[in-house]
Amino acid sequence: MATADHQTERAFQKQPTVFLNKKSILQGKSKKNLRYVRNVGLGFKTPREAIDGTYIDKKCPFTGNVSIRGRILTGRVLKTKMMRTIVIRREYLHYVRKYCRFEKRHKNLSVHLSPCFRDVEIGDIVTVGECRPLSKTVKYNVLKVTKTSGSKKGFAKV
Amino acid sequence: MCISRDKWHKRRATGGRMAVLRKKRKYELGRPPAHTKLGAKRIHTVRTMGGNKKYRALRQDHGNFSWGSEAITRKTRVIDVVYNPSNNEFVRTKTLVKSSIIQIDSTPFRQWYEAHYATPLGRKKGVKLSEEDEAVLNKVRSKKTQKKYDERKKQAKVEQALEEQFATGRVLAKISSRPGQCGRVDGYILEGKELEFYSRKLKSKKAK
Repeated sequence: MATADHQTERAFQKQPTVFLNKKSILQGKSKKNLRYVRNVGLGFKTPREAIDGTYIDKKCPFTGNVSIRGRILTGRVLKTKMMRTIVIRREYLHYVRKYCRFEKRHKNLSVHLSPCFRDVEIGDIVTVGECRPLSKTVKYNVLKVTKTSGSKKGFAKV
Repeated sequence: MCISRDKWHKRRATGGRMAVLRKKRKYELGRPPAHTKLGAKRIHTVRTMGGNKKYRALRQDHGNFSWGSEAITRKTRVIDVVYNPSNNEFVRTKTLVKSSIIQIDSTPFRQWYEAHYATPLGRKKGVKLSEEDEAVLNKVRSKKTQKKYDERKKQAKVEQALEEQFATGRVLAKISSRPGQCGRVDGYILEGKELEFYSRKLKSKKAK
């Protein structure tokens, strides 16, 4: 298990609420890894990877400094090319009164993806919760990922 | 005040330009950075929004640093700026900013440690101690107080890397206050994993 791999930046990555230098730790009788994990509420389970993992992400809803409040939305994953954030696509129907019919519309949303969600592929359904602005376009945070049915049988691209 | 922190000069998320609707407002203002240098204390106060004050430290040399594992804090002199994760320029010009790694004078911490645990810290082997140091370390005590000190000695171990720094008289610390905002250079002594991380960075820099 790589424990030091998350120190990839020039500054030492740590959770600010965890004090790493207590005497009992320094003198060697080490407990299990000190980690701050929180329950985001609203019935969302915090993933095992968030509790056991060693990543440091201040924007993670489970191990970082963001609170989830406001709207909860769902969407389909469109792109996963950004670092720790993905683009989801939310589709909806708009009613046109003159023709008494619907038309399909969609909106893209940039959403922060915590490292505790591994193997998120495009096409997965994702539940996101509103949080404070994390960047110019990111105001939502991924809370739950449900894989698309049928993806289990498919072979991953090598 | 030509620096402004507005949003309407930026493009939209779609890439489109935003029409300029108004002039710059005072509440969007920004001020030039402090670039606090190492030197005799010089602090200017700034009147901010709402009539509040900010203390812009232009030069500082002392700070309040805490030794986390022992839970004590002492005022010490800042000696040198050694590493900055954001900008190497700050190391070269000896600029004090939050999260800079600096060297501080270790004597107040050593004095506290020797008085509290009655064991020497960072002393060279074989060098005779001066009279006052002898008095502190080997004070004649009553049985009861001696017992107290013996109990303390059980917890007195300091990690190897830190002890070596005490021997040289300079300890690595990290600034955790913002000198350009509060006028103070406060921080904490590096220990454990953090110390290991930054020592490695320093060594690789030196090796270059």
